[in-house]
Formats: sequence, structure tokens, C-alpha cells
Amino acid sequence: MTADLVITIVGSALLILGAAILASAAIGLVKLPDLYTRTSAIGTAAGLGVALIIAAVVVFDFSVLNLIKGLIAIVAQLVTSSIGSFALARAGYLTGSQPVATTFPDELADTAAVSEQASASAHPEGDP
Amino acid sequence: MIPAVVVAVVLGLLAIAVVLSVVRVVRGPSAGDSAVAGDLIFFAFIGVVAVFGLMFSIDAVIDVILIAAVLGFLSILSLARLLQGVQR
Repeated sequence: MTADLVITIVGSALLILGAAILASAAIGLVKLPDLYTRTSAIGTAAGLGVALIIAAVVVFDFSVLNLIKGLIAIVAQLVTSSIGSFALARAGYLTGSQPVATTFPDELADTAAVSEQASASAHPEGDP
Repeated sequence: MIPAVVVAVVLGLLAIAVVLSVVRVVRGPSAGDSAVAGDLIFFAFIGVVAVFGLMFSIDAVIDVILIAAVLGFLSILSLARLLQGVQR
């Protein structure tokens, strides 16, 4: 009886916390000013929120097999959400999406210019 | 098993997340903003699946979530490839 109560309280807390993190990510999605800050908000908050929801499912429905599946799902979620947001921010940068004006050191622009010069000198007749 | 008030609160929070994401999809100035909002809608959908699976005590819910967490990033990767076109 007491164990059931503890499982219910811990699982409910994890579930509500995960959903609240997803909702805060959505608030950031509406309020933040440019593509890169929005991508950062989704990549970090959605990874953590979905990981907490998976942990809640494992707590409610506990067995060793579910624990293994849940751990695999949490690790995959934490890795792949950051990969997805990275790829999307890179695509936005390559298509010329402007960052907000307070973004001061734009190091990616310098790196892109340098690598463009290097590839131009290495292959003078254009793209191989 | 899972209390009804928890189901209501979690579904309400996820509904807020989806509605705000749809606002960003409609309003978003570039295609990248819409893609990011679609990503968040997908994550909120994983949460909805988890809550309904716990509510009706479906055994396969952890498998569904596992597949969604492992393969879900392919959608956003393909959207990014589509967005940047021919450049690498």
C-alpha cells in the first residue's frame, strides 16, 4: 500500500515536471527573438522533458525489461534531440537566417570565410 | 493507477505546448522556425502517447516511446536537409 503511494507520487511528479518543461519550451518558442535561440530552447528543454516523461513511464510500469528499454530511450532522446537542433540551426545559418542584432562574436562567419578561401585556393577551377 | 487529476494537468500542459507551437508554425518568419515548432509538436505527441498508455495500462507504451525516441530525430534531420537544399 505504501509502496503504491510512493510510486504514484514519484511518477506523477516526474510526469508533471516533464510536461511543464515542454510547456516552458513552447513559451520560449513564442517569446524568443530568432531561429538560433528558439532552436537552443527546443533542443535542451525537449530532450530533458521527454527524458523525464520516459522515466515516469518506467516508474509507473516497473520491471527490469522496462528499465532497460527506458534507459535506452532516455540516452537516445538526449543524444538525438541535440543532433536534430544542431542540424536545423546549421541549415538555418546556411540559408542566411539572420541572428538577432545583439549576437556579437559571429565566429561561424569568420570560419566559413576562411574555409571558403582555403577551398578556393585548393581547387581553383571550382567544386570538384 | 495514475490519478485522473495528474492526467488532466499533464494533458493541459501538453495542449498549451502544442497550441503555442502551432502559433509559431503559422507566424514563423522562416521555414526553419516552422520546422523547430514541428519538432516540439512531435515531442509533445510522445508525452500524450505516454499519458494515454499509462491511463489505459497498455503494455506496449514503452516500446512505442522507445521507437519514437530513437527514430524521431530523422524527421528533423530530413527537414534540415530539405531546408538547406543542395549545399552541404
